[in-house]
Amino acid sequence: MKPVVTGRSVLTSRETGPELDKLIGRLKQVRFVHDLELLTVVSVGKLLDEAGIIYPAGNPGLSIYIGIDDAVEDIKDEYFNNILKEGMMGASPLLFPYTSPNALAAQASIAFDIRGESITVSVKDFCRDVIKYAVDCIVQGYTIMAVAGLISISPDDAYSAEFLLIENRNSALRRGAKIYSYNGDWMNEYFRFD
Amino acid sequence: MKNRVLVTGIGLVTPLRPFAGAEAFWDAVCSGEDAVRWMPPPLIDAGRKWLMAGIDITGRSEHVCSEDKILFIAEEALRMAVKDARLPEDRKSGLSVGTVLGNILFKEKRLMEGNPHKTKNSFSGESLSNINSFLAKTFNIKGGCITISTACASGTDAIGIAARKISSGEENVIVAGGADVLSDFAVMGFHSLHALTEEKVRPFDKNRSGLALGEGAAFMVLESEKHAAQRDAKIYGRIMGYASRADANHLTAPHRDGRGLVAAMSQAISEAGIKPAEIDYINAHGTGTIYNDRMETLAIKKVFGDAAYSVPVSSTKSMLGHSFGAAGAIETICCLLSINHKKIHPTINYTERDPECDLDYVPDIARRSNVNTAMSLSAGFGGQNSVIITGGI
Repeated sequence: MKPVVTGRSVLTSRETGPELDKLIGRLKQVRFVHDLELLTVVSVGKLLDEAGIIYPAGNPGLSIYIGIDDAVEDIKDEYFNNILKEGMMGASPLLFPYTSPNALAAQASIAFDIRGESITVSVKDFCRDVIKYAVDCIVQGYTIMAVAGLISISPDDAYSAEFLLIENRNSALRRGAKIYSYNGDWMNEYFRFD
Repeated sequence: MKNRVLVTGIGLVTPLRPFAGAEAFWDAVCSGEDAVRWMPPPLIDAGRKWLMAGIDITGRSEHVCSEDKILFIAEEALRMAVKDARLPEDRKSGLSVGTVLGNILFKEKRLMEGNPHKTKNSFSGESLSNINSFLAKTFNIKGGCITISTACASGTDAIGIAARKISSGEENVIVAGGADVLSDFAVMGFHSLHALTEEKVRPFDKNRSGLALGEGAAFMVLESEKHAAQRDAKIYGRIMGYASRADANHLTAPHRDGRGLVAAMSQAISEAGIKPAEIDYINAHGTGTIYNDRMETLAIKKVFGDAAYSVPVSSTKSMLGHSFGAAGAIETICCLLSINHKKIHPTINYTERDPECDLDYVPDIARRSNVNTAMSLSAGFGGQNSVIITGGI
């Protein structure tokens, strides 16, 4: 049975403030040290709200698959430039863990207690491979629901995030979720709705 | 796994006998050779040394500069794997590469030269997917290519994801593995987290004091059973199960009760269609840090129950240090070699038993053992936990 889309969020790093306010009090405690992870957490929160997923989820059937382009290189540059300026003392134990590309998915998994798979894929601008893998994992029964999408840097130097909540159709029907219909774009390769 | 996924070729470049092939590597780890030495970081003059396990590529190729080291060792490891598998030239295969920092020395050198950049116009050499692109071009790989970055579980996930693609029938052949190199970036970072040992790497020992960084590249050729049979390929074993689970707990520390690792082990065992007691050997993540080794021991006991005390557990990192994205691939190869040689490599530098780490860690001396099924565990920053189960044919 084909998976279905039950949520969608699109956000840029310039729009995170009001969206973060909506999440306060419902997140597990996380500390934000960079715009990218704030954007990721806020976008995933918006997505889960949109899809009607209650969190903290504590659910091993909910997984997260994130594609990231060279946006992650900015964190690495910031971290290493601090070392070049201040020597060993410039190596920030706070920033260092965020230089690992999976830190964005990890922060979302921590914030919303997502306990399924957490997979980060390096991509260039296009999240087809990530969406396809998430869909395959649902079809093959490795997960029931998937937060899947792309974090990227846009031409105006803001970061952008686009996520889908993809779900086993039975699961969506059982919980009475709104099911999206898409037409005329690349996702039609994977989602052909009745 | 729905359709059987076979391993038909292996290749690796590690700090132990780096360019001598898999059998020489296996002799070295079974002899308990320790590759960890006091070394300076690669590019920055930090005025001190750290315990690390490095690969000397001096004189290997006149075309290799230090910042291209990862491409060089990845190419060598992949070449070994493809040659070992005797894949035909006109093959159509995919590629799945796990890496944490990619070509990080390229970035370090650029920033040291004071050359800033905007990421949209970044030098392609710094992108994580650069290794993948380079290998695909060098080896004329025509199938799907993917780069996985799941911290220190990257190599394991790259192999597991490739195995799923073969199992589902999406691909027939995928070369999968991982690569990472020593960098000033990582040395300074782990130093700032007080995670590096100033003594020996002693996984599961009462006096363990941290990890040592390492480097390497390891690849294996994964193939559908039908495809392997058609060309009468040599078979090292099969991928029986793979699972990944998030701790959802802390960015740098493992969940104290091993929640994610327990879930990943249980799922992989279920997928393999076996019982925990049927696992003959566990290649542990075994970094030598206080928290990892305690958590890993606890997780194994939760999943295996009383059988935990009779399954041998050893740490490859006791000899090679922690090679990030390469580690899981190297350790999965160790599992396959254990199955093929009926032998388990030791955990070296193990001298005093920790009451909280009370399993059979195969201290210091390799052991003959009838290994038919082996499990490799990987964990990483961000609460990553990944498990691969390999078995004989």
